[in-house]
Amino acid sequence: MVNTPLKGLLARCYAHAVLIGGLVFLLGPVLLIISSSTHTTQTLQQQGLQWFVGDQFVQNYSRILAFEAGFFDQVTPLAMLKNSLIVGFGVALLTTLFSILTAYAIVFFRMPGARWIFWIVFATLLFPLESRFITTFQVAVSLNLVNSYLGIVLPVLAMALGTFFFRQYFLTLPEQLTEAAILDGAGPVKFFLDIVVPLSLGRAGAIFVIAFMIGWNQYLWPLMVSTDDTLYTLVRGIRLIGQESGPGMALVVITILPPFVLLVVFQRWFYRSLHSIDTH
Amino acid sequence: MANVQLRGVRKTYPNGAVAVRGVDMVVEDGEFIVFVGPSGCGKSTLLRMIAGLEKITEGDISIEDRRINDVSPADRDVAMVFQNYALYPHMTVRGNMSYGLKNRGMPKDEINRKVEEAAELLRISDFLDRQPNQLSGGQRQRVAMGRAIVREPKVFLFDEPLSNLDAKLRVQMRIEIKRLQRRLNVTSIYVTHDQTEAMTLADRLAVINDGKIEQIGAPIDLYNNPASLFVASFIGSPQVNLLPVTFDGSRLINGELAIDGFSDLPQSTPLVLGIRPDDLSQASHGQFTMRVDIVEQHGADNLIYGALHGITNAEEDGAEFCFKASHDLLPPLESSLSLGFDASKAMVFDQQSGQRLI
Repeated sequence: MVNTPLKGLLARCYAHAVLIGGLVFLLGPVLLIISSSTHTTQTLQQQGLQWFVGDQFVQNYSRILAFEAGFFDQVTPLAMLKNSLIVGFGVALLTTLFSILTAYAIVFFRMPGARWIFWIVFATLLFPLESRFITTFQVAVSLNLVNSYLGIVLPVLAMALGTFFFRQYFLTLPEQLTEAAILDGAGPVKFFLDIVVPLSLGRAGAIFVIAFMIGWNQYLWPLMVSTDDTLYTLVRGIRLIGQESGPGMALVVITILPPFVLLVVFQRWFYRSLHSIDTH
Repeated sequence: MANVQLRGVRKTYPNGAVAVRGVDMVVEDGEFIVFVGPSGCGKSTLLRMIAGLEKITEGDISIEDRRINDVSPADRDVAMVFQNYALYPHMTVRGNMSYGLKNRGMPKDEINRKVEEAAELLRISDFLDRQPNQLSGGQRQRVAMGRAIVREPKVFLFDEPLSNLDAKLRVQMRIEIKRLQRRLNVTSIYVTHDQTEAMTLADRLAVINDGKIEQIGAPIDLYNNPASLFVASFIGSPQVNLLPVTFDGSRLINGELAIDGFSDLPQSTPLVLGIRPDDLSQASHGQFTMRVDIVEQHGADNLIYGALHGITNAEEDGAEFCFKASHDLLPPLESSLSLGFDASKAMVFDQQSGQRLI
């Protein structure tokens, strides 16, 4: 017991070493992109990505912001940003909403076969969008969803993980909470809005962020389902400009920013729900 | 205020399990009635049927002569206090107490007035703006009661409300619940498995066993005059002493033990003699001789446990007799004590049916 303070110090140093290692590993590529976005295309193509900040910041970013492409010059960074935000927020909102509603139905209503319905929902995890592109595309065509935001968003938003996440939480809520609400005169809708939703806000925030990332990062599906220049998203735009160019790197940086901001905003909720300390 | 009538109430679950097998009783206006029984006896199910949280399979339940079988729980005018409090974790104390009123469309200032009145009564006025996780167990239980009180229901239902509290707080809250019920004079039904709680709180006590009411009456009547072996052994702490015996025409026999003073008992069937630990006394030539095994000193009195001399067929857990003596009687362990009792206070049961014979 004599060397406890020393042991504690060593343990802390070790923990910090691990954390710093992780930080460098995760942050390295991001810093590499940011610094590379301040070099000329020529430097990047001849010497590869750059670790140090160059002198082309203003040139690259002003060039990319003024960039126009497509038949009618409709593909601009701002237009792409708008599309990405619509898709990202659309996926995030709808996914969160459907996840919490599905879980609510499965957990709180004694419907026949609820367990089976849940596992069928869960089994969709085994069939990611990429594995059913062709059929999904046929459905999108027959529903007249090609070249529309809805067409980009809808197939992405069935997220079994979200349902699972909420279900696990709802199962931890004591049954008496529901019964107390029933005696207090709260019907299913009131109980959902007054009790379940406020209690699940932290978790909803986490699902929202995750779903936003999924929507934001979609590449292949938007490429398939939209041929219209006005529906270009930022992630698709990167390819249009070229990854190994200075302005391309600048666009990558711009593309990372919105999810980053969102994560910072939701961070507190996110951690709280992962630690699940917000129960009672 | 209202009375509650149960007529032939039965509960069968879809899987065929029977929880309540025919209960008939009337809870009078303003009465505090306690359902007591071992876990799984159906007492909670019965309470939940009155609350409307369980469907009634058969029979009728009425509150103030209005049949409520098909009335939704919210419209039955009952309020319930749960064992785990079931407070809404994200709402303040005020929010918790006013939620039910808000749902009933009561004007805001009236809600506030009622909540503050109830908070005053329960001495939680200082916590109205706190959240449940900032409160102690006792305070949470008060909030749960406050939530029930503000509704001014016809009937209070308590489902083991003190089980999650520590022993000291339980006694304190027990007294408070009793005082509150006296003051508000609301018909109350209280479920517990704790016989002390049941004895001390109840105006009338219903001992429930295997989905049926074994006996119902004032606590002290149930203690003094249990109708069956079950009631005798469930009510009273320390538990009643039970000794299997047979009757030979004039005496109760167990092994070498023969006890005089009994008559009119069947000779063919096995019987059980029951004597409360406080009905035993030290006597120079008593009916029993006890070999002292353990002495528990409770302060005011001592509980002396030991095996009786000469008995043969006592059950494992019935082998030890308990004798409640005053605190100055402290016999050495392994010593022998001669004990006597007044035959008029002894109870005799039919071992098979559990029926009280004397």
